[in-house]
Formats: sequence, C-alpha cells, structure tokens
Amino acid sequence: MIQHTSEQRPLVQMRQVQKFFGDFQALKDIDLDIQAGEVVVVIGPSGSGKSTLCRTINRLETIDSGEILIDGEKLPEEGARLAKLRSDVGMVFQSFNLFAHKTILENVTLGPMKVRRLPAAKAKEEAMALLERVGVAHQAQKYPAQLSGGQQQRVAIARALAMKPKVMLFDEPTSALDPEMINEVLDVMVTLAKEGMTMVVVTHEMGFARKAANRVVFMADGQIVEVAEPEEFFTNPQSARAKDFLSKILTH
Amino acid sequence: MDIFDLSGLFLSGAWGTLRLFLLALVGSLALGTLLAAMRVSPTPVLRGAAATYVTVVRNTPLTLVMFFCAFGLPILDIQFASDRGLNSFFYASLALSAYTACFVAETLRSGIAAIPVGQAEAARAIGLSFRQTLSLIVLPQAFRTVIPPLGSVVIAMLKNTSIASAFNNRELISAMRSGIEIRGDMVITILIATALIYLVLALGLGRIFDLLERKLVILR
Amino acid sequence: MKKITFLTAALAAGALTLSACGQEGTPDAGGGEGAAAGDAPVYEVAEDADFSESDTWEAAQSNGTLTIGVRFDQPGLGNRPAGADVPEGFDIEIAKLVAAHLGFAPEEIEWVETVSANREPFLQNGTVDLVVATYTINDERKQVVDFAGPYYVAGQDLLVAEDSDIAGPEDLAGTSVCSVDGSTPAQRIAEEYPEADLVTYDVYSKCVTDLQSGSVDAVTTDDAILRGYAAQSDGALKVVGNPFSDEPYGVGLPKDDQVLRDAVNDALDEARDNGYWTEAFEYTLGDSSGVEQPEVDRY
Repeated sequence: MIQHTSEQRPLVQMRQVQKFFGDFQALKDIDLDIQAGEVVVVIGPSGSGKSTLCRTINRLETIDSGEILIDGEKLPEEGARLAKLRSDVGMVFQSFNLFAHKTILENVTLGPMKVRRLPAAKAKEEAMALLERVGVAHQAQKYPAQLSGGQQQRVAIARALAMKPKVMLFDEPTSALDPEMINEVLDVMVTLAKEGMTMVVVTHEMGFARKAANRVVFMADGQIVEVAEPEEFFTNPQSARAKDFLSKILTH
Repeated sequence: MDIFDLSGLFLSGAWGTLRLFLLALVGSLALGTLLAAMRVSPTPVLRGAAATYVTVVRNTPLTLVMFFCAFGLPILDIQFASDRGLNSFFYASLALSAYTACFVAETLRSGIAAIPVGQAEAARAIGLSFRQTLSLIVLPQAFRTVIPPLGSVVIAMLKNTSIASAFNNRELISAMRSGIEIRGDMVITILIATALIYLVLALGLGRIFDLLERKLVILR
Repeated sequence: MKKITFLTAALAAGALTLSACGQEGTPDAGGGEGAAAGDAPVYEVAEDADFSESDTWEAAQSNGTLTIGVRFDQPGLGNRPAGADVPEGFDIEIAKLVAAHLGFAPEEIEWVETVSANREPFLQNGTVDLVVATYTINDERKQVVDFAGPYYVAGQDLLVAEDSDIAGPEDLAGTSVCSVDGSTPAQRIAEEYPEADLVTYDVYSKCVTDLQSGSVDAVTTDDAILRGYAAQSDGALKVVGNPFSDEPYGVGLPKDDQVLRDAVNDALDEARDNGYWTEAFEYTLGDSSGVEQPEVDRY
C-alpha cells in the first residue's frame, strides 16, 4: 500500500512550530515532513490541535515560532506572495464555506479567473469537467444553499482542485455531514488519493485512513505523539494516549 | 399665476431634488464603501483614519457640513465649475455625500460583521488578495445583507436634500417657498403637495429596495 | 497659512450667521445709531373704542388682548433682537398705533411671529387678529384674507458695496445678485433679469455675508429691509435707491370683517393727520424726507 508515486521531495515541512492562543499552547514542537504524493491523516481527541496544525499550513492561523515551508519555500507574511502560495495549497473546510452569493459554477471558476487569470471560457470548461468528476455538474447553475451538505462539500473539493494545487488540506471534511452523505465525499477523496494528490486530512474516519493514508499522525495536547503506517497504528499503537483514544472510538 | 404654473414649478423643483439625490447617492455609496473597507483593513492607520472620519462627520449637523462646503471650499479656492449655480450644486452634493457616507459605512460594517468568517477564509484559501476578498466576496454579501437598513439611510438622504435649498440650490423646498409667495391663499395645499412629492419619491425608493432585497437575498 | 486663517474666520462667521438665523443682524430699531434718535412714540389709546359689531374685536376685547402677527426677523421692520421680549420696527409701530385706535395699549398686545407660510392660515383659523408683517397686498391673497392700508409702499431695490457702479437692475447683467430662496424678489430677478447670476439662501444674513466678502455683487429685496442692513454696515454698504417694483404693505385681516377693516383704515388715515405715521417711520427707519404715506385703498 505504501508506495510513493512521485520522487521523494518534501512538499510541506514544519520545523519546531509553536502556536499559542493567549496562555494556551495549541501547537508544541511540531516537526513534520509531508512528501509529494503522500496522504497523511491527522487524528486525535478534540482540542488536540489537529485542526490548528492543518490551518497553519496555509497561514489561516499564524504561528508564534518555528517555520513552515511549502515546496521548499518559507511561508511568507501577509501580502501578494502569501496569496500566491495559498493558491498552491487547496483547502476544504468542515463547514464547506462555499461563496453563498455565487452559483456552484462561479464558486469553481472564481479562483482560476481572478488568481490564475484564466479566460472565462477556459475556466468554465475546466470547472465543468471538475464538477462532472465530483458528480454535481447538473447543479452548476444553482446556489450553494440549494444543495445538500454532501454535494456542497464535493463542490468545495472541486473549487480547491480548480487551482491545480500542489497539496490539499482537509479540515474535518465530513464532520458536519449527515451520515448518509459521508461516503459520497470520502469516495471523492479516495479517488483523489489514488491519483497521487498530496493530502493532509484531519478526520475521525478511520476507514478512510486505512484505505487511503500512507501515514497516520496522532496528536494530543498540541503535540505529535505518534506517527505510523495506518495498519501498524490501528493494530499496534505504541503510546498510551493512542491506545486510550483508539479504545474509545473503535468500540463504538 | 395659476395652479398649472405651480405644477411646472414643482416639476422643476422635484428634478432639482432628484439630481442632488442621484449624485449624492453615487458619492455616498462610493465613499461609504471605501470607509467600510478601511475600517476592516489590516492596516491600523487606515482603520484609525476611517474611524475618526466617521466619528467626526457623523456627529456634525448636516447644516454645518453644508456650511463647510458652501462657504469654506470657495475660500480654499476649490471650485468645480465656473457657473455659480452648478458650483453650489456640487458643494451640496459633496456635503450630502460626505455626511451620508458615514451612515453607509456603519451600515455596511454591521453587514460585514454578519457574514460568517468562513467566507473570507475560503476566499483567502484560494489565493484571493485582501482587496479581492473584500470586493468579490465580503462586500457583495454585506451589501445584500444590509439592503433594508441601507434603504432607510438612502431615504433619509433624499429628505436631507431639502437642506440644500438654504445654500443656493433650487429644489422642492425652493419650489414650495416660491409657491407660498405666489399663492398665499393656497398655503396648506402647497405644503401638502410638497409632502406628497417627497412621499412619492420615498415610496418609489422603498419599492426599489424591496425589489432589490427580494432579488438579491442570500440563502444560507 | 493665510488661507487657513481665512477659512477659520469664514467658518466662524458662518457659525455666527447660523446661530443668528431668525433674528438677523439688527440695526437697533429702537433708537440706535441706524435710526433717528429719540424717544419711542406714544400713541393715544382710544378709551371709548367700540367696534362690537366686529367678531374679531369683540373676542379680543373680552380677552383683554389683541393678537398681532409680525415678523421677528426683518431688521427695521419687524425684528426681535436676541434676548428681547418684544419685537421692534416700523411694522411694530404701525401695529401699535392701529391697536391704540382699537382701544388696546401696547402691553395688551400679544406678538406672534408669522412667516410667509403661515400668515393666511393664522388669520383664517383665528390664531392672530391682525397681521402687520411686510405683507404685500395682492389679488390671490385677497381671495382668503382682507387687507387694510396700504401703510407703506416698498420697492425692490439693491444693496451693494459702497464703491459699486451698479445703479439699478439694468446693470445686473453678468453680476451675481443674492436673495432669499423662493421669495418674490428672487422670482422677479429670475424672470425679468435672467442675465443676472441669481444666488439664493434661506436668510438674508447669508447674502449680506457674501456681499461683504465680495462673493456676490448685490443683495436684492424690499428697500425697507435693505436699509436696515446698510445702516448697520458702517458705510460699507449702500442702498441703490432705484426701486423697480411696488410692494404695497397692508394690514392683513380675517376675511369679511368689514367693521374691523374700516376701523384699521380709519386708524391709518388718522395717523397721517396727527403725525403718528411720520413719528413711527422716523423712529424706526430714519429720515422720512421724500417718503410719503400712501392713500389707503378701501376696495
């Protein structure tokens, strides 16, 4: 299962990252490399800092010290260079965050047209292909609120993919979904993983981790406690925290 | 002078009010949007400048703002036209715009605050700049959210155009004053007619805002 | 730096003008330097006055108060200076001498401010018994109220800088002339002298400010009003003295009270004979040489 499709090249590097919310340390001594083509699932109890970790990678959360590099380039401060870098990092949110005043199609074409300066016709063509791929092409003229949660999340994935990102971040992409819609989103993500997309996925879906992940990163109290291949992690966790966590979620 | 001359008088008065209103509408929306954008900008200097402007101008009577424009600007040699009447029209429009912009900005700011933070995060995540995020995602949604209160601000401005009659502008109040001078026997009729014209204009505006609200409402 | 000083001064002036709205600058109508000095005229109150056939008079008599509508904002004519309880000016003197004829002493008069918009309504609904308020007699107004008098024929004139070459309305082409928005003088300039650049404000004091700063070349309205401003300018401003309209000022009365109208007309005729009119004029507007009291029009 673990075979890296592209050459060994760290796309995301986190070095001694520290993050505070006031007195509370949300991220502690984070060191993590993510190779091109790798799928990394981040799990851990709530409040463990896994979402924060995900959000620091495209600087939606700033960090207090340490450094983060994307494809070898240090994450810039605010400004045009940060925007440029963000366009290379796709992000999918727990609450979808589709632009409420724009149609499904406009949601997907906006980035390519405004950031990549693609002509409208070209952007539309690519967007329709992406919507087709995630199975919502027939909804292209509707507004986000007219779609189910699962459909909205698939559009959100298409929106991120439209930027042709180097890496995709998923911040609990199925947590806000009704159970019957979870699989339609996971299916899209599994396909994406198989195609070689570099992905960081914060999730509670152990099935996805087993099926698609190269590595599982287990976090607790803002620290990375354990990193392992999925099979290894689920069958033979090393740390007491991981054992405790797994015993709680797997019995349900 | 009979009642038909008076209707001509009121027609030209209504046009005077309308053109003041239209120019000030464009001016106040533009300046108000700029001020609202400054107030949410990451640059402290811009935030401070916009907040100071809004605090000072919003708490100054419109009559005084008109005084500044109509009597202060000529002394600074700021003229918009060689024709005095046209100049006074621009001064009054500027005063109305500068004043109403504060209320537009505050209304918009409340609209911006009502938009889920995820909208801006998603915009930044696909690589939009701060300006693009504001102009393509945040402000369009903020405008749609605040259409009803913005309607009230705009209707208040329509009525505030009446102050311009005291500063060399011919509009509905001028027409009313002329009408009263000409036909002292019809004072009550003339007052009611004036009120009715304002009412019709304001109702028309209200209708436009109702339509806009229905057409542009955002489902969440 | 100089400009800033200018601006500050202008804005201060503007603010002053603003705060002075409604009372305008006063030429000390009660015997100040602008008017002929002297004691206030005293009009003999007719103790035996009886006009009980007039409903208006009868009601006023039983109240013990005659209510008269006057201007509070026209220097020299009807003006209430800041802080004063009672108004002063030529209209006020006319009102007092008419009241005396009707049997009311000055302290039995209640003064009510009237403006263009409320003179007719106030007479119609009985808020006031008489109006003496730069009230031009015309046919439209005669439809709804009656007039006694005229007691004065004003004429539209021009107030200009002391060194101005403007000698009459025919010199106005290409100059800017200021008046009050919607007023008859403003309408006349717009209609009959369209080559003049008309500037209108809500009060004459703004026009005078503009004239003093050179922003306009002339201010126009009835000569009686302009005289008041000229008088308080210390010689910087002058009235051209070439009136180009007739504005017969009348005493407004409720419609169809013939007894009261005759009584007021009698009062004005008497004022000519006993010199009250001249006293009133000289006390408030100054030298009366060349000015005549018009014949009353008992239409």
